[in-house]
Amino acid sequence: MEQHFNIEERSEQGTTVVAVSGEIDVATAPQLQECLHSLIAGGKTTLILDLLSVTFLDSTALGVLVGALKRCREEGGDLHLVVTDPRIIKIFEITGLTTVFPIADSLASVSVS
Amino acid sequence: MSDDTDVLAPDTLNVGDRVELTFPARGDLVVLARLVSSAISARAGFDIEDLEDLRLAVGELCLLALDGGDAPDGQLRLEFTCSAETLDISCELIGGGSHAGSSNGTGENQQLSQQILAALVDEHGRDESDGVVRAWLRKRRGGPLA
Repeated sequence: MEQHFNIEERSEQGTTVVAVSGEIDVATAPQLQECLHSLIAGGKTTLILDLLSVTFLDSTALGVLVGALKRCREEGGDLHLVVTDPRIIKIFEITGLTTVFPIADSLASVSVS
Repeated sequence: MSDDTDVLAPDTLNVGDRVELTFPARGDLVVLARLVSSAISARAGFDIEDLEDLRLAVGELCLLALDGGDAPDGQLRLEFTCSAETLDISCELIGGGSHAGSSNGTGENQQLSQQILAALVDEHGRDESDGVVRAWLRKRRGGPLA
């Protein structure tokens, strides 16, 4: 029932997509942080983070995402989120982060400038 | 279904029941607290939405007690207490002295934890006394326990 945490990177039309599955919490968030920091340090400053298969997300995960967003924007890029699970969206809403991140409900609807 | 309010179904918690869970104070084990929280919340009569809220909230309690980092040799002790109208949960960090430190342990994360708790539960807090860090929450049920 519980989905194993996993991170996959791929390129779609010149933009890097990072697809995460499973639970992003205090135990797994450092892996995501390392992945995102490595990509940004490598010049990939506009990222799409596919959270469609994420089943749980806590404040540690939010902290990692906010940190990555700041780094992307400092370099002139952005961090787009793709999420549909109402439980995950609720966490962004209650922390006020829906107004901070560009959030789309599908990869196709992400608008990368 | 029985009309006798003194008799509860075998898988429910009674008013006054207390459940304790103690485990090594490590972030990778916080999942245990979340799992137990779900089981207890269901047995305490919360609906599925509250159950999900409590699962997230209990994880945040643990993070507040851990202050973002593992505590070597420390223990996290959770206590779940069921009353007629509420479920009270506390999380204490016992022993362990100083935290090992973590790249994620920031004031910003604590603020996010506080925001999440404020939205999901009725009351919450964090205090420190005699070297013991304690985070707690109270969640009210829609109605009293049967």
